[in-house]
Amino acid sequence: MKLVLENYLLIFCIAITACDCNVSPYLKIVNVDRLIDISSQIVKVTNKITFQNAGSDSVSHFVFTVDPKVIDNVAVIKGRISDLDVSLSVSEISVENRKAWSIKFENPLESGKFSTVDVYYAFIDYLKPYPTKITQNEKQFVKFIGNSYLYIPYHVSKVTTSVALGTKNVESYTRVEPVSYSDSHILYGPYKDLKPYSFHEIEIHYENNAPFLIASQLLRKIEISHWGNIAVEEEITLEHTGAKLKGPFSRYDYQREPESGLSSVKSFKTVLPAMATDIYYRDEIGNISTSHLYNLENSIEVELRPRFPLFGGWNTQYILGYNVPLYTYLFTKGNNYLLKMPLIDHIFDNMVIKEAVIKIILPEGSHSIDLNLPYNAERLPDSLHYTYLDTIGRPVITLKKTNLVEDHIDNFELRYVFPKIFMLLEPLLIIGFLYILFLTIIVYVRLDFSLSKDEDTEQKLRVCGLCSRVINFEHKKLKLYQSFEDKLSALKYNKDLNSFSVNVKSFNSEYKSISAQLSELIAKLKTESPDIYEKVSELLKLDKQLKEIYSQQQTVYVEKLIPGKINKASFLELENGFSKKKEDNLSRINKLLKSIE
Amino acid sequence: MEKIPIDVMNPYLSPINPILLPHLTLILFAIGTFFTAWFFVYEVTSNKYTRDLLKEVSVALVAAIFSGFGILCLLIWVGIYV
Repeated sequence: MKLVLENYLLIFCIAITACDCNVSPYLKIVNVDRLIDISSQIVKVTNKITFQNAGSDSVSHFVFTVDPKVIDNVAVIKGRISDLDVSLSVSEISVENRKAWSIKFENPLESGKFSTVDVYYAFIDYLKPYPTKITQNEKQFVKFIGNSYLYIPYHVSKVTTSVALGTKNVESYTRVEPVSYSDSHILYGPYKDLKPYSFHEIEIHYENNAPFLIASQLLRKIEISHWGNIAVEEEITLEHTGAKLKGPFSRYDYQREPESGLSSVKSFKTVLPAMATDIYYRDEIGNISTSHLYNLENSIEVELRPRFPLFGGWNTQYILGYNVPLYTYLFTKGNNYLLKMPLIDHIFDNMVIKEAVIKIILPEGSHSIDLNLPYNAERLPDSLHYTYLDTIGRPVITLKKTNLVEDHIDNFELRYVFPKIFMLLEPLLIIGFLYILFLTIIVYVRLDFSLSKDEDTEQKLRVCGLCSRVINFEHKKLKLYQSFEDKLSALKYNKDLNSFSVNVKSFNSEYKSISAQLSELIAKLKTESPDIYEKVSELLKLDKQLKEIYSQQQTVYVEKLIPGKINKASFLELENGFSKKKEDNLSRINKLLKSIE
Repeated sequence: MEKIPIDVMNPYLSPINPILLPHLTLILFAIGTFFTAWFFVYEVTSNKYTRDLLKEVSVALVAAIFSGFGILCLLIWVGIYV
């Protein structure tokens, strides 16, 4: 132990001569309270550090280091003002070619002043099971190797280290006086007047049956649809990294004895957003039915039970997916959109994710993508995703990050521009498809594959076609008469001859054009079918009569009624006569039309 | 590009209220089916002398538009968010 200390002293001397300007020599640490929580698979360390500025200039930041053997196991580090929820900015720097962190005070520390900050960090992959293999009925013991002092480039006046074990079953622990053990806690210190980079190794061998569960692979897909939905799907590979199972596994013992397989994972809870719907839990075989859903006030909890309990060294894969309404995470202004949602979400308590790949699938046609992450992550090349009714593909943003813990559950901000007109692309595709179908039918009915023409039916069809056109024209004429009738009655009241004569002109010209077309058709009919021709000429005769009645009525109106040359009684008599004739005529026309049909 | 701050943005609401989807699907499909039926009845009953291309094309277009939007609503309703 002494040798180790001397080693660090040596490093310290080199540090002094090298004079790293990041480390202010005037900054002193008055007191450190350390709390190391080793009750789960993650080692969580909270250092409550009180700094004093003994120099004359103010100091803006301090340097924090972790003992170099385990520095790569640090998954997260955070600084905040003690007892306040104000986080301090942490940036990674290098001190003497080694990784370290520079943490800024909220306000530069003035000369002679004190400041208390909390530095929190979490190690993963830190606790080693010992023994490394156990049978089903054995408990899991792990070894913790740590520092009873604080490894920091400042002089420390006083440090106390409290280790929370979460169990009363301790095999052994290193004694560095003063040390006391009580009720699942080991208290080291206080130790006084420690040189910078002080290190004293402690080893604790204790029982820890917490699930040593890690998600070795996480593929999280976030798919945005502007029709109102965010689909989230997580493909997870879970691995139990605790003491490996030695010997056979007995399902019988496992079910019967509560003491059996204490360190195994039977089930775990995943917390989902409160608005999550359509939750599914499956793997490549199909649905896994052993899951329970609990609706809590501001979240949804899913209890997932894998197909088999997980023992040390075992692993399983599953897919968990759900939908969230778009308005919970997407904000808009014009064509600009902002997606703000967690980059990763809760999988199980005290989770560790070895490698996470996050894919954000944006709607088709979005561009000007701008991503803002809560922490550094590797951005893989963008790609395209094709699903239902896609043409140019949906832009996909892919991110990769290793070694994540619960403290990494934080929102990202993704801005993009999406022209709303692109939303019409999908319905237009369906409409276009249907329309092509209809057009094919239109073309198909026009194709004639017959080898010989049947003249008889051909003629019938032709006559039928002519008849339907005659009927159409006659209907048009009847409509024209109706409008003329309306104009006459209008004239009766407003007595406006000028506008009436204009109307009459247009009526006459339309009537003429229809009559001309009709007579053309009738000429054709004469050669095709003399039988029908007779009926149609009858129809024309009736039509002429009707027209005659209307022109008579017109003369009466224009020449007698408007100038006032007729008394009321005789006008009404005439009017009645007209309408009777018209009705009679119309009914006959309709009868004829029906017979032609 | 200038970033718009989040507090001037509004939560995004989809163009179709999800509550209306079942009704919309049924109504649009009913209208679409009506026009489709009309189109097919017309195609079968008319012959090459009575056919009117303009009428066929316009009925087909109306049928395609209503059925198309109906299918879209159905897809969203059943959870295929296109």
